[in-house]
Amino acid sequence: MSLPRLKIIVAEDSELQRLYLCSLINELGYHAIEAEDGHVALELAVETGAQIVISDLQMPKLDGIGLTLKLRELDLGYYIHVIMLTGADEMENRAEALRVGADDFITKGSSTAMLKARIRTATRLINHAAELAERTRVLKEANERIEEDLRAAAAAQRQLLPNLQDDIMGFEVASAFVPSAIVSGDMFGCFALNEAKLGFYAVDVSGHGVHASLLSVAIGHLVTPDYFRTHAFDANGRPDPANMIAVLNQRFSLSENDDYFTMFCGIIDKTSGHIDYCQAGYPSAFYVDRYGSAMSVGDGGFPVGMIPTATYDNNEHHFDTGAALVICSDAAAEAENISRQPFGSTRVRDVAQLFPSVRANKIPNEMVRALNKWRDGAPLEDDLTVVALERKASHDTHQNT
Amino acid sequence: MIHTKTHDPNITVIRPGAERLTAVNAKAFKDEVTDLINGGATQLIVDFKDVSFLDSSGLGALVGVLKKIGHRGELSISGLSSDVQQMFRICRMDRVFTVYDDVNSAVQSMAESQ
Repeated sequence: MSLPRLKIIVAEDSELQRLYLCSLINELGYHAIEAEDGHVALELAVETGAQIVISDLQMPKLDGIGLTLKLRELDLGYYIHVIMLTGADEMENRAEALRVGADDFITKGSSTAMLKARIRTATRLINHAAELAERTRVLKEANERIEEDLRAAAAAQRQLLPNLQDDIMGFEVASAFVPSAIVSGDMFGCFALNEAKLGFYAVDVSGHGVHASLLSVAIGHLVTPDYFRTHAFDANGRPDPANMIAVLNQRFSLSENDDYFTMFCGIIDKTSGHIDYCQAGYPSAFYVDRYGSAMSVGDGGFPVGMIPTATYDNNEHHFDTGAALVICSDAAAEAENISRQPFGSTRVRDVAQLFPSVRANKIPNEMVRALNKWRDGAPLEDDLTVVALERKASHDTHQNT
Repeated sequence: MIHTKTHDPNITVIRPGAERLTAVNAKAFKDEVTDLINGGATQLIVDFKDVSFLDSSGLGALVGVLKKIGHRGELSISGLSSDVQQMFRICRMDRVFTVYDDVNSAVQSMAESQ
């Protein structure tokens, strides 16, 4: 098998010695490049892309040590293998050469076989580095493809989410959706169910990343206004969100794995402001009245898809005009600062309570800002969803059923 | 990752061996506890004294272990921090697991019930 025609720079001030070495190297099947001193060798190294330099230790202008130092300062994206030519009496200089980055030595007057062996060693290392670089390139390409697919998946996931700052039946709805990876295990929805009622939900799938996002997207496709109309009302047409969650629990408890999700869903009557809601392991929401007084909504409930026999309760609340409801996934309360202190539900409530000084449509971004500050800019470790609904006073209601 | 200690009669106390039981180590935790169950352990106490944080994956693993034991034995929990206790309450896990303040009360209660 013929050796690859690698370029080798021969830095040697003695013309005779240089020509002799170059002819040997060319005979070995390499491409020898002559340099009469260290400066020329350095320039040629940059120009030719040679990955092996055989250098004399003693040279005018720039000697072998200086050349090695300069070569190591270059940022070429590949390694240059430096073999130093030394006299038999230059043992002390070898230590210095090693210190500045020489890789190997050949004693002047050594046999051709020795030179050949040294060059082969260098070639082996260069080939090995090339193989590693190629593997890295392939992995990087594969990674880029995966990331591209994930970004497409994330875009598809975002398309499922309602438009930000929608006005739905006299409620202003705003949200923030911050995946911890490219895709998120969170999902939420808010839509008109009929002329009088509005439905909303927020879901947080256990875990995060691709695995959780697949389930969250499946839920996003499943839980539509039709799904609410079919499962979240009893036979007499009264809101029954607990039944919808029970149906989801039956459906998702069938799986053998540990996947589950938490959910908060409700139905709001646009005329009376009456809310029927069901909480399934999702953090309690915060209701902030028009005077800026916040209260927690919900005292817990079983997650969905975890326990097949779990039962769920309907709860009620009143949503006054001029008030807001803030729903926030556990990523907010669990977000830890640099001292590992969690943000906590009290601080989540404090941000919710910025309302009404801050309009509800700004609260989601306020939450993101507060968490960003809390974490000193470090990305969240879990997917964050913040949904804020404000029941507008009747005079500024644009009915949009 | 887990550390175990056996108390008479055949009660195994498990310490998760990590300050945080999360998506990062939940599977390893579940696999190791499942090995104990497959090895015949039926009376288990998971002591959370040294665990400050449990995320949704950690909770999923814990419930997975409970399902694995099923009717063959018992799984109790002890030493929950106030934050983890709050999460248990919101998820109604306090109705699914028997929770004790500390491991000694859990061992004593489990021993008496046998």
